[in-house]
Amino acid sequence: MNGIPLLPAVTVEFFGSALAILFSFIALRYAWFLVRLQPSNFIWGFLFYFCIAMAAFSLSRGVGHMVRIILVYTDQNTLWKQLSPLSGGFNTMLMISVAAVIIYYHKGLAAYKLLRQEAVKLFDANTQLASSAKQLQELNTHLEEMVEVRTHNLSESEKKFRNFFENSKDIIFFCDKNGYFTNINSSGIKLLGLTQPPESVNFHDLFAHKNDLETYLNGLHTDGFISDLEIECRGNNEGPKFILLTANAIYDLDGQFVAYEGIGKDMTRLRTMTEQLINQEKMASVGQMAAGVAHEINTPLGIILGYTQLMMDDFEPDSETHNSLLVMERQTKACRRIVADLLKFSRQAHSAKTVIDLNTIIGEVLAVTEHTLNINRIDIIRHFGAGLPQIVGDAEKLHQVFINLFNNAQFAMENGGKIIVTTGKINNELHIIVQDTGTGIPDEIKNKIFDPFFTTKDVGKGTGLGLSVTYGIIKNHGGRISVESPVTDPLSNETVQGTAFHIWLPVNSTPNDENREQH
Amino acid sequence: MKKHPYIHIIPIILLVLFSFAENCWALQSHGAPEGIYVHQMAHLLFSGALGYLYWHTRTSPVIKSKGWKFLQIFCFFLIAWNLIAFTGHEAFSHLTPTDFIDKNTWKEQLAPPITGMKILYYLTKMDHFLNVPGLFALVISLRTFYREALLEAKK
Ligand SMILES: Nc1ncnc2c1ncn2[C@@H]1O[C@H](COP(=O)(O)OP(=O)(O)OP(=O)(O)O)[C@@H](O)[C@H]1O
Ligand SMILES: [Mg+2]
Repeated sequence: MNGIPLLPAVTVEFFGSALAILFSFIALRYAWFLVRLQPSNFIWGFLFYFCIAMAAFSLSRGVGHMVRIILVYTDQNTLWKQLSPLSGGFNTMLMISVAAVIIYYHKGLAAYKLLRQEAVKLFDANTQLASSAKQLQELNTHLEEMVEVRTHNLSESEKKFRNFFENSKDIIFFCDKNGYFTNINSSGIKLLGLTQPPESVNFHDLFAHKNDLETYLNGLHTDGFISDLEIECRGNNEGPKFILLTANAIYDLDGQFVAYEGIGKDMTRLRTMTEQLINQEKMASVGQMAAGVAHEINTPLGIILGYTQLMMDDFEPDSETHNSLLVMERQTKACRRIVADLLKFSRQAHSAKTVIDLNTIIGEVLAVTEHTLNINRIDIIRHFGAGLPQIVGDAEKLHQVFINLFNNAQFAMENGGKIIVTTGKINNELHIIVQDTGTGIPDEIKNKIFDPFFTTKDVGKGTGLGLSVTYGIIKNHGGRISVESPVTDPLSNETVQGTAFHIWLPVNSTPNDENREQH
Repeated sequence: MKKHPYIHIIPIILLVLFSFAENCWALQSHGAPEGIYVHQMAHLLFSGALGYLYWHTRTSPVIKSKGWKFLQIFCFFLIAWNLIAFTGHEAFSHLTPTDFIDKNTWKEQLAPPITGMKILYYLTKMDHFLNVPGLFALVISLRTFYREALLEAKK
């Protein structure tokens, strides 16, 4: 019976060993590449050590096998007997090494995982940080845009309010708590006639009346505002300004009064207009009353005069009774004259308008009165404008106007003086000035002199109807009359004592029927 | 935390120590008996470690890669090889010089009668059929790892 030949098994052993060495070294080579590619990767590190151990083991074992086969089959059994334990020991040691590497892998991997986790966390944190940074940057750019838009809106709004502030025809101002302007619009500067920089002007100093200022400040301090307070301000050179003032106090965060802002409306024009209107109304009503009275009195006066003249025929001239009747007749006639004046004032009297030349009218009046005036040491100075246009008017009544004015002037100059009569044409109006160098008219009565029955003369010397009749006649001619006292010389700008009456008459006006009908 | 991989190996080692010790003393084929003991224990330790590596790479791979698949194949082959080698050594220790004819020549044979132990020994002598494919799988595994790492690095 044959045994089993071992040759095939030995052949397999021999070549298998060689192949094992080859493969294990190829594996080691790849592991080496891996480690070189990513030196920090733990897995590659592990595989590298594992492959080293594997290669060492395969080498030791393979070489051992091959050497054994060679030695044994070449009859060097004894040598192999000596080497055998060495080879076996090597193999054992290397097998344990491979196992040790694997065991080490366990611990190392845990550490590596921990490290990796941290790294991942760190990476996550980094990405998060980066994304936050990006968001922040986006926000930032957006913020810039937003700021731009807001700034634009703000500047639009600022422009709007600035325009409103500057273009307003009212005074708009801001003051600090002591009253010094911090800001005022151009209308305000113009109306208040500010010549210095507004910052150096104190608003409180512009108040014409102390009690206005008191009301104003009281209101601001107690209520925090003041509304529609009418005050008089020292305005620009056109004279005082009447201002309707509304103001608000401005408080700081602690509620302390720090400043105020206000709006003032210029009421000057409205006020003068209202005053004129009131005056006209007064005149009209007085005129109506006077007309009624005059009409009633006129009839009995006529009868008294008639009977007086009849009786005078019954008595001898120069007799006492006749003389008494003469006095009666004269006084009655005086009465009738007053009544006639009253009727003239109220424009109820008959009026006949023709085309007239004003210089001629004044000339005619002066022809009669100049002599008397000269006796009273009053010189007449004529400044008649040449080539004045003719106007339509009642010559008789205009005579009356100038007689009245000259009478008044004469009365104001008891110790003599000058009457300067100036005529001229301004635009579409004739401008007549009758100026004297007399006592002048005090401010308190300036707006009363045109009232009927207003007089400063002693009883019996004047009725106070002169100027009111004059006023009525001028109105009836569609003109205006005003008084100036003391007089400012338009050329030298000096103030001269005396009074000047200014009359304006329209040049091409037809008789003002409407006006007559109305009264 | 996972159990220590060699914890379950320890009882096996002890078992091996005590079950084979007697036999080995009785049947001496190597000069010093403790050498073969240590060698056998090393085989068991090795396969235990490989078993752990196999199990661990299967259950919780640290890096996703096809390389692990080949590494697992490697582990499988090497574990099998270890066991075969272990068996081979064991079988060899049961044979005596009279079981061989023409020892140490090209014509060396296993002497008849053919027993199971002899066949086992013969078969285990072919252990390279497990060892070489296993190492080949290791080569493929590492090559796969390397290629993937290279690709990633290029990205
Ligand atoms: N030129 C003047 N200078 C100073 N005061 C004047 C002048 N003209 C008018 N007045 C003042 O105006 C008042 C009113 O004048 P008005 O002519 O209406 O009445 P009168 O002169 O007093 O009386 P009447 O004219 O009826 O005789 C005067 O009493 C006088 O005080
Ligand atoms: Mg008079």
